[in-house]
Amino acid sequence: MKLITALVSFLLMTVSTFGQYKPQNGVATSKSEITAITNAHIYVSSTQEFKNGSILINEGKVLKIGKKIKIPKGANVFDLQGRTVLPAFIELNSNIGIVKQKKESPRSYRPQIESNKGSSFYWNEAVHPEVDASLMYSKNKAAIKEINQKGFGFFVSHSNEGIVRGTGLLVSANGDNLSSDIVSPKIASYFSLSKGDSKQSYPSSQMGSIALLRQSFYDFQYYSKSDLNFTDLSMEAWKSQMQLPRFFQTADKLEILRASKIANEFNSSFIYLGSGNEYEAIDPLKKLNSKIVVPINFPDAYDVSDPYISRLIPLSQLKHWELAPLNFKILKENNIEVAISSSGLKSADQFWKNIRLIIQSGVDKTDVLKALTETPASFIEQGESMGRLEKDMLASFTVFSSDPFTDKNAKANEIWLKGERKSLEPFQEIEVKGSYHLNRPNNRFVLEFSGSTQRLKVSLFDTDLDGNKVDSTKTKAAFKLDGNDVTLTLKRADTTGKFAEVLHGKVTPNGAVMEGDIVLKDGTWEKWSAIRFLDSEKEDLDIKTQAIQTGKCWFPNVSYGLDSALQQESIIFTNATIWTNEAEGIVNEMDVLVENGKISRIGKGLRFDSENVKVIDASGMHLTSGIIDEHSHIAISKGVNESGQAISAEVSIADVVNSDDVNIYRQLAGGVTCSQLLHGSASPVGGQSAIVKLKWGEFPENMLIQNAPGFIKFALGENVKQSNWGNFNTVRFPQTRMGVEQVFYDGFHRARIYNQEWENYLKKNKGKSISEPRVDLELQTLAEILKKERFITCHSYVQSEINMLMHVADSMGFRVNTFTHILEGYKLADKMREHGVGGSTFSDWWAYKYEVNDAIPYNASLMHDNGVVVAINSDDAEMGRRLNQEAAKGVKYGGMSQEDAWKMVTLNPAKLLHLDDRMGSVKVGKDADLVLWTDNPLSIMAKVSKTIIDGTIYFDSDRKTAMENRNIEERARIIQKMILNREAGNPVKKYEHKKEKFYHCDSFGEEGETSTNTH
Amino acid sequence: MRFYLGFFFLLVPGLIFSQKILFKGADLHIGNGEFIENGLLGIDGDRIVLVKKALISSINENKWDSIIDVSGAQIYPAFVNTNNTLGLTEIDAVRATRDFDDVGAFNPHLRTQIAFNAESKVGETVRTNGVMITQATPRGGIISGASSVMSLFAWNWEDATVLADDGIHVNWPSSTVGGGWWAEPKPKSRNKEYSAQKAELRSFFDMSKAYCESKKPKFDQRLEAMKKCFSGNQRVYIHANELQQIHDVIDFVTEMNFPFPVLVGGYDAHLVGRKLKDAKLPVMLKRIHGLPQLEGEATDLPYKSATLLSEQGVLFCLQGAGDMEAMNARNLPFIAGTSMAYGLTEEQAVESISLSPCKIMGIDKDYGSLEIDKKATFFVSRGNALDMMTNKVTMIYFDGKSESTSNFQEALYLKYKAKYSER
Repeated sequence: MKLITALVSFLLMTVSTFGQYKPQNGVATSKSEITAITNAHIYVSSTQEFKNGSILINEGKVLKIGKKIKIPKGANVFDLQGRTVLPAFIELNSNIGIVKQKKESPRSYRPQIESNKGSSFYWNEAVHPEVDASLMYSKNKAAIKEINQKGFGFFVSHSNEGIVRGTGLLVSANGDNLSSDIVSPKIASYFSLSKGDSKQSYPSSQMGSIALLRQSFYDFQYYSKSDLNFTDLSMEAWKSQMQLPRFFQTADKLEILRASKIANEFNSSFIYLGSGNEYEAIDPLKKLNSKIVVPINFPDAYDVSDPYISRLIPLSQLKHWELAPLNFKILKENNIEVAISSSGLKSADQFWKNIRLIIQSGVDKTDVLKALTETPASFIEQGESMGRLEKDMLASFTVFSSDPFTDKNAKANEIWLKGERKSLEPFQEIEVKGSYHLNRPNNRFVLEFSGSTQRLKVSLFDTDLDGNKVDSTKTKAAFKLDGNDVTLTLKRADTTGKFAEVLHGKVTPNGAVMEGDIVLKDGTWEKWSAIRFLDSEKEDLDIKTQAIQTGKCWFPNVSYGLDSALQQESIIFTNATIWTNEAEGIVNEMDVLVENGKISRIGKGLRFDSENVKVIDASGMHLTSGIIDEHSHIAISKGVNESGQAISAEVSIADVVNSDDVNIYRQLAGGVTCSQLLHGSASPVGGQSAIVKLKWGEFPENMLIQNAPGFIKFALGENVKQSNWGNFNTVRFPQTRMGVEQVFYDGFHRARIYNQEWENYLKKNKGKSISEPRVDLELQTLAEILKKERFITCHSYVQSEINMLMHVADSMGFRVNTFTHILEGYKLADKMREHGVGGSTFSDWWAYKYEVNDAIPYNASLMHDNGVVVAINSDDAEMGRRLNQEAAKGVKYGGMSQEDAWKMVTLNPAKLLHLDDRMGSVKVGKDADLVLWTDNPLSIMAKVSKTIIDGTIYFDSDRKTAMENRNIEERARIIQKMILNREAGNPVKKYEHKKEKFYHCDSFGEEGETSTNTH
Repeated sequence: MRFYLGFFFLLVPGLIFSQKILFKGADLHIGNGEFIENGLLGIDGDRIVLVKKALISSINENKWDSIIDVSGAQIYPAFVNTNNTLGLTEIDAVRATRDFDDVGAFNPHLRTQIAFNAESKVGETVRTNGVMITQATPRGGIISGASSVMSLFAWNWEDATVLADDGIHVNWPSSTVGGGWWAEPKPKSRNKEYSAQKAELRSFFDMSKAYCESKKPKFDQRLEAMKKCFSGNQRVYIHANELQQIHDVIDFVTEMNFPFPVLVGGYDAHLVGRKLKDAKLPVMLKRIHGLPQLEGEATDLPYKSATLLSEQGVLFCLQGAGDMEAMNARNLPFIAGTSMAYGLTEEQAVESISLSPCKIMGIDKDYGSLEIDKKATFFVSRGNALDMMTNKVTMIYFDGKSESTSNFQEALYLKYKAKYSER
């Protein structure tokens, strides 16, 4: 039965009009029906291999494959004795052949608010699902040859810019002019968090990109479901892509975590195009159960010859250099489905070198093969036709001179694409190696060959009377081998000067004897011969598979990173002076017991289980609750401001928390346990904040405080008016305080209507008489404020605007929660108390712009004295770690009590964040977020001894020196390795130092800039 | 008595002073590292005439016009703010108020003295924390111009001048470059032009030196301004922070043989303290209320850096140049305070913002410490002036004149305090 079907299909295939319908110029070329490959080492798939096998090919597909196959008569036979055949690799991340149209638009320094593409497309230029890479594709022979040489027979190409990028096409990597090479014009759709070429102002940050992507998904759902009276070509294109696999380009492992949240929200899934540092987030990635395509363009070692420069290289970059080659292995060990991409690697040599580095790290070569063939095939749902060389699959494979997984001299000689053979580099069957005597009528030399057959090096020596070489006479010569033709060029010198001699000839098939003619410099001819007398020492090409000794990935993989996440402990502090922030005030010689992350008991001489409780003698020391920074911009990736629109309520810092920021550790060293990471102040309605505990070594999801209330940053005054942004930024509304008021009214009016629409919809016969309204993330967030489900922290300076926002809130029926900065709060403290708003201010900043001219350091005291809840915040990564000093200024300016001053950085910010039921004081049942100080915490002499969050010691001054030394030792170890690496002849690059950026309120763009003095 | 006097002076600053005043009962922080518990400080006119320990001295009360009992208080020499645009800027974001950076690369002829705003509102808030003298410092270019040492208690820049044109400020080329601008950040890398830029700087100095040594030079305004760097008392302040730069600066000042070179910044100076000491190159240390510059450096390295320099015997002072430096000048005492918490003794910390900066700038003959024959320029604080909790300035004397301890911010405070207490 099987035989019959096979036979029938065979017959069908032969009669079907396979191939082209294009008219041919000249007579039709005749081809054998069957092609046979014989005597090759064939990898059929990652699970099957024939050391000496054959393949029969018919109509571009594999007809038969196996060890002993009968070759039918009339077959065109290719004997590949000794060579290796690998299924053609599949590249999923390329833009080969994609030609972008250049946009002809006049350069303008003014911001572009609207899309320039017209109303038939999506409103934001970074969302362009309509981009069809197949229409932009034109064959790029050079690029195709380049990937052929690596072993790739297929690639997916897409236009790699934009957030919703459109579709990619699948190409059979055939560089000749005659045949079409497109396998499928739309094989997958592509996404990213990078705005690309769009000049539209929005989005200007990564959180803006995330919000835009989410909004476009919602808009797509709305467009698909609703009966609308317009056509959006972008959305139409998106509709047609629903069945395609979705690829998501990422630039960092944290971006995978961010994108996966979007996938969950829309019940979708992405295949991630990784960045190569996925090993740094292996635990969360494992939980995602996702598919990842990893690049293997491992970083080059740095040139560490100049110690003044090499000391500037952050340990994080040194560690990544060392660990990047292990990325694949670590992902594989954690059962993550992973494909390999050659993107970023120009040459085949570099590609194979890195492949072998992966194998050296202890990965089985079949796993690597799978990641280049079967896995990518399955990612694009082509596993039935490509990725393996089984029967009926496409006969696309690469022929290597030897096994490239183990032999560093292996070269791709030819690539077969759908049964058609393309030559890449002729197979050099004859090997010239070892040492030869070069005999000429009048003299004798020694020729020494070294290096691989492809890159032979040859040296020429004179000989002594006994025919032995004279080392001191070594000169370089050039040698070329083409089939059995040899050309040897000698540079020589005699009494008359320098001259060249070119020797031509033939070499015997075993490579042992060469002979031919020379034309001498006087024009006469002479005979020469060369006879091998010494074979080269056999180089050991077997790759050692034992793992190379390397360091461990730290969490995070930067200076001060941890070997693993820290553990919660039961701890007792004995005989401490405790600043309770409760009715008891400051009490002396008390014990505090911490269990299960909470403060469990406070008292004198507490009994405890001495076996399981860590005792910290706190005699003479001060124990307080942890500092809470109400206004911070640390630990944020790619942009603290979404400055593209006046209202950007839809964006959230919680989407872009960066757990790699060393400033987290630095804040811990200053006694900070909790920070509100705020959006900047570039727009009247900024974005949602993230409230995090500074759990160094954890990933963002574990830093975010669960069930914390939602906050949003608003802003007033010079920053939102763009007063200090130069003369080009006079386009975006608003440019005056008058405009700012109207932006708020407009936003809240629209939000109220929006909310009404949804309430109506949800109340009345859901989905029957009324169609589902559009989800608008911006208005949804503003509606949360109206519903008192989200609270405002508003950047503010002068009293007029503060008053204004309170009026807006009053008229809309909600309360402003916090004014931050609030430097003129003292002028209307009574009104603030009446409204019920708190103030989170600087201790003594002023004079940096016009609106802070009346800022006085007595502000905190005056507001406090008039019943306003007052906090002192940092807005600055450096000052954040000295907030105890800043609080102490409350005592100096205006004479606050020490207790009240201390509350400004602990209990009061907890109140402002609605977290005072869990934090802000030393009270039984509250979170064990505690700081042990060497002195009165308000004193200039105070230093942090320990910082504890949820019962885990995150900073310990006793371990401080050890942590610093560990940085130094790790650095020294890797630098040593880099030096050895350089001596081994590997490439090095000069260090390029990326300046650390610190965000303030008014930093824009994906990379912050410390523009001076405009907080 | 003292409260009466204090209140009186508050109303008419600078106009009334006694000929001979004795301050008794306060702890004296001399400024040179010494400390006198319960001391006597006597002034006659604008000079200090008595500095003694009270317990071992008998005093003839009749010899003094006034005796002020300041028991339990602390007396410090004027704190001195160096390397700062205070007085040259009012509101950083308002260009019209900025007068510290002019066009051109080599501007030794620019003089901050005449641009100094003696009526600066910012200055008013600085002096009330004990910071009484400032070095008005130009910015920008390769040679920014000449700074002048100014008093914060004056009617105009002439009165304010403590030392005119105390030195020129040189911005050493950076050994690294790049970073791009905010919208298009680029990686920072080794400055390939570094050698060329050093050579450019060097050639300007060579030219200047030749001009100064020439008997009949053709008049050149810029080069004229360089004269005193080579032979006079003028300082050559070289701003540099990176290790590579500091090594090169040491070579440069040695070769040029300046009488008074100074390193300003010196973030990495703690790595080459011995070399700086041997080269007799003092350091105006970069603001220590700053983050570590490198990821792996100790979290408290900046806080400790003064101690590291001190341990290696380098003459240094503390300063606060950087973001919002003018308004932040009032926090100079707390910068010294933090250095104290991280290793300096209290008196070393005081010295680092009093006598040391005066020595470095060359005004230590008259200012910087409570020593006989020096100017009576000091302040009284109710508690430790280096700690923000206790820094409470109750009296200020500049050149023997009593000065106001209040400022417009306190006035605004009192105004609004009164507003609220009315209700």
